[in-house]
Amino acid sequence: MRSLKKLIPHIFLMGYLLIILYPFLFVLFSSVKSNNQAIASNPFGLPSSIMFDNYVNAWVNAKISTYFFNSLYIGVVAACVSILLAAMLAFAVTRMRYKKVSAIIFQLILVGMLIPNNSLLLPIYGIMRNLNILDTRMALFLPYIANAIPFTVIILAAFMRSLPGEIEEAAVIDGLRPAGLFARIIIPLTVPAIVTVFIINFLGNWNEFLLANYFISSNELKTLPIGMVGFRDAYNTNYAQMSAGIVFSVLPVMIIYAILQEKIIEGVTAGSVKG
Amino acid sequence: MKKKSLLLLMSLIFVASAVVTGCGKNNNTEKESAPTTEPAKTNNAAEVKVNDEPFEITIRHTQVGEAKKFRLAMLEDVVKQTEAAVPGLKIKLDAVDSEVNRKEKLRGEMAAGKPPEVFDVFGSPDAALYAKEGLMLDLTSILNDLGIKEKFNTLAPFTYEDKIYGLPIGGSIEGYFYNKEYFEQKGLKVPTTIAELEQVAEAIKADGKIPFAQSSKDAWIPLMTTNNLWSYYAGADITYGFKTGATKWTDPNVVKAVAKHEEWVEKGYYKKGELGFEYADMRNQVITGEAIMMMDGSWANSVFRDPAQAGDMVGKIGYFNMPPVNAGDPIIVMQDANNGYGFSSAVAEDPRKLQAVTEFIKNMWTDEMQLRGLKEDGVLPAMKISLDQMKATSDDALMQDIFKAVSEIGTSFPAFDALVQAEVNTALSMGIQQVIGGEFDAAKMLENVQAAQEAANATK
Amino acid sequence: MNKALKSPLTYILFILPAFILFLGFFIYPIFTAVNNSLTSWNGISKTMTYIGLDNYVTAFNDIAFWKSVRNNVYFIFFSCLVQVPLIVIFSLLIANVKRLKGLYKTAVFMPSIMSTAVIGILWGFIYNPDFGLLNELLGVFGVEPIYWLSDKKWAMISILITNAWQWTGFYIIMVLAAILAIPKELDEAAAIDGATGFQRAVKITLPLIMPIVSVVIMLSVAGAMKAADIILVMTKGGPAGSTDVMATYMIRYAITSFRHGFGNSIAILIFVFTMIITVLYQVLIAKRTERIEY
Repeated sequence: MRSLKKLIPHIFLMGYLLIILYPFLFVLFSSVKSNNQAIASNPFGLPSSIMFDNYVNAWVNAKISTYFFNSLYIGVVAACVSILLAAMLAFAVTRMRYKKVSAIIFQLILVGMLIPNNSLLLPIYGIMRNLNILDTRMALFLPYIANAIPFTVIILAAFMRSLPGEIEEAAVIDGLRPAGLFARIIIPLTVPAIVTVFIINFLGNWNEFLLANYFISSNELKTLPIGMVGFRDAYNTNYAQMSAGIVFSVLPVMIIYAILQEKIIEGVTAGSVKG
Repeated sequence: MKKKSLLLLMSLIFVASAVVTGCGKNNNTEKESAPTTEPAKTNNAAEVKVNDEPFEITIRHTQVGEAKKFRLAMLEDVVKQTEAAVPGLKIKLDAVDSEVNRKEKLRGEMAAGKPPEVFDVFGSPDAALYAKEGLMLDLTSILNDLGIKEKFNTLAPFTYEDKIYGLPIGGSIEGYFYNKEYFEQKGLKVPTTIAELEQVAEAIKADGKIPFAQSSKDAWIPLMTTNNLWSYYAGADITYGFKTGATKWTDPNVVKAVAKHEEWVEKGYYKKGELGFEYADMRNQVITGEAIMMMDGSWANSVFRDPAQAGDMVGKIGYFNMPPVNAGDPIIVMQDANNGYGFSSAVAEDPRKLQAVTEFIKNMWTDEMQLRGLKEDGVLPAMKISLDQMKATSDDALMQDIFKAVSEIGTSFPAFDALVQAEVNTALSMGIQQVIGGEFDAAKMLENVQAAQEAANATK
Repeated sequence: MNKALKSPLTYILFILPAFILFLGFFIYPIFTAVNNSLTSWNGISKTMTYIGLDNYVTAFNDIAFWKSVRNNVYFIFFSCLVQVPLIVIFSLLIANVKRLKGLYKTAVFMPSIMSTAVIGILWGFIYNPDFGLLNELLGVFGVEPIYWLSDKKWAMISILITNAWQWTGFYIIMVLAAILAIPKELDEAAAIDGATGFQRAVKITLPLIMPIVSVVIMLSVAGAMKAADIILVMTKGGPAGSTDVMATYMIRYAITSFRHGFGNSIAILIFVFTMIITVLYQVLIAKRTERIEY
């Protein structure tokens, strides 16, 4: 009886998992099939013979390697910087004693969350042109960092607000200044939220297409989503090779996530014990 | 606290709109003077003094992906020749997907007043719009100097107020690709009238196959059939009159043509659910033998000649024009050359860049390159080349069919989207999907299109 | 004590960098858009003609625009009424299982890793009327093939399902993080008092995670209003505009038609509508403690 009761959640979760993971198997199978016809004739079945050519072609010929490292570099750096800046702002707004100004700033940022800023590409393009940084890495760093700020601030502020007020009191008695309080106490306690937000921000940057497509024209600076378009001719799609590219684009994020997801729990329990 | 923050939101918006409307008029003049000229001038000053100093121009092209590798190789050869001929020149190639370039990237750059020196562009309506704003280089004198102005089949899509602003890379016609092997097996003949075409379709349907492959997720695909039909029923000239108001979409003959397309849909000549299919799907329908005929542009021949894409079907596909209503009537076919290269007007301010562009044009538009495009890529020449010479260049059976189709053309017309405003194209695209989906009939759909046409005519 | 947390210089230094970026990439563009929305600018021309509120009038008089608004409303209802309960249920399930927790946590997030373009291709295969996974599955139960993406009746719901597939796991992770942050002692104390797992979930966990659920609802609404990519890759707003939302309406009737001023007015309408909905939500539905505000 007890064991059955324990089993029920697993049955539901396994059903959900099946729905989620099946399409991934499809990509994996497709990536080792020979061509479009092999996929179209038997889209969800096992491949009849396994070919790794698609991977080699994608990596070497289509310059996936260059795009891959560009995406990784820009994605990680932009995510880190936006978290740092957003955490500073969230800390100032939630823990420092300027309630009126903080309320205005926070409210503004909340509104920013609702701005469909991807629909407003042209003004942003204008800024980039005026700063004269089009077709440099900066042209992606700046908007990626900025785009993540409202979301990151909202999440981090929500977590920071829930931290008990006694923390400050103790810290201040220990003689810490606000900056020290932020770096030594608040940040470590917010790690789980930071990890979550990092994953989300990194992901957003990793998959971002619109801005990268507009602002970058040098081949050596292009990112992976733009590179994926390289597989896609305007009128034709090489699904097998595309699938291999998809695997390249998904794998690193999977690995990063698999490593970091443990941190989410660890961080939380550690935090609650100390708090 | 809550009330206050709400108030804050609201007042923010009011202030925002007030400020913006207030300074609106000033912005206007600012926008006029700001873009284009500044950066080019500084470049200019630096480069005139030292003449063989390295300089760079960018070519935005759309030769992305496997299917366009021949086109890319040709471009790269031209780039090499051009670099060799102009001291100090370094050409940077910037590849962007065709649709993305046309709809997003180039438009954004044009809005900012700073397109690349050389860029892939569609003639009508895009080039005319850019030319009107003074963003494109007038090529008329360059073409005169090189003596190639009269060598093109048509430069109409790239002409604005009698000046030429771009050059087409190749031409195309629209017609039917068909499964030759199947036709032979079933004793079917290439039709010579629309009625015969319908009989063939009926026979194919009775055999359990799909008569016409069509993917209507992108409306321009079914509109190829519609456009050719109304050009037969109402005459090819009718499309020119929509913009001026001389002719109307609700003309009974146009209605008859669209009703014919509708009838084919209702009779099940197209695969069910085709409104959700991608362009590649309809080719796959032909390649797998599921469908027998397919209306498409002549450019599709490269797919059917490539074993990697067409598999066993290579060599089994033929091509014919859409036949006229009555036997023996002249054949009317969509034929144009609307895609090519344009050049930034900023080039004119720098003699060295102008020299580079001139050299690029000289190397790109030669008989040799046009024939190479035909041979390797199956793209019909944009420049005047005799049919015999074309036939001699490619001995492929499908290409021979296409050459034959070109030779049969009595009257040709440019695709409708080159002749009507973009808004009308949007309305027509919506309309044909509604007809295929059974939402409206032909008459109702064309009433809506005419309404959009009148609205568009009124704004100009 | 107050003095330490009242250092104006630190305050400004902490706020400024993020705030400047925010102003540049959110506030400035929206002002530009408001300005452009009052013009008949074609997106290229160097001159703009001011035409007052004509663009807004045009939009309000267009049936197709209201159809696209209706699809946005469907999006919101689906997110709030179907997705959010699922998110909460699955988060609670994952939080309470002992075995395989890591697997579940990793797996549910997978769909959110893929770019939307890729998901569009993938689900195109699943929805394929001939050989698609879904119709094959339904065929087992004797259901006639359904033309998911090409039938007006089904296209919108197909998109909603795909969208839910992509984002549910993403929100589960956020809610899960909140559940795992609840001090163990609370739950244990209740267990000792004899509360069942279900009771504990409803009485203790649920109230404590409501603030984050509120965030999830807000994000879903904002996401639903901005949605465009998933529709573009799956149906391009078709068949015949039946899956157009405001953002794709903007692309169809404004950007590809060289009506940039009109496009900007739609962008502003998206923003204003989103704001009205969120304000209504905060005022009418969310309880005092769940509000996301200062």
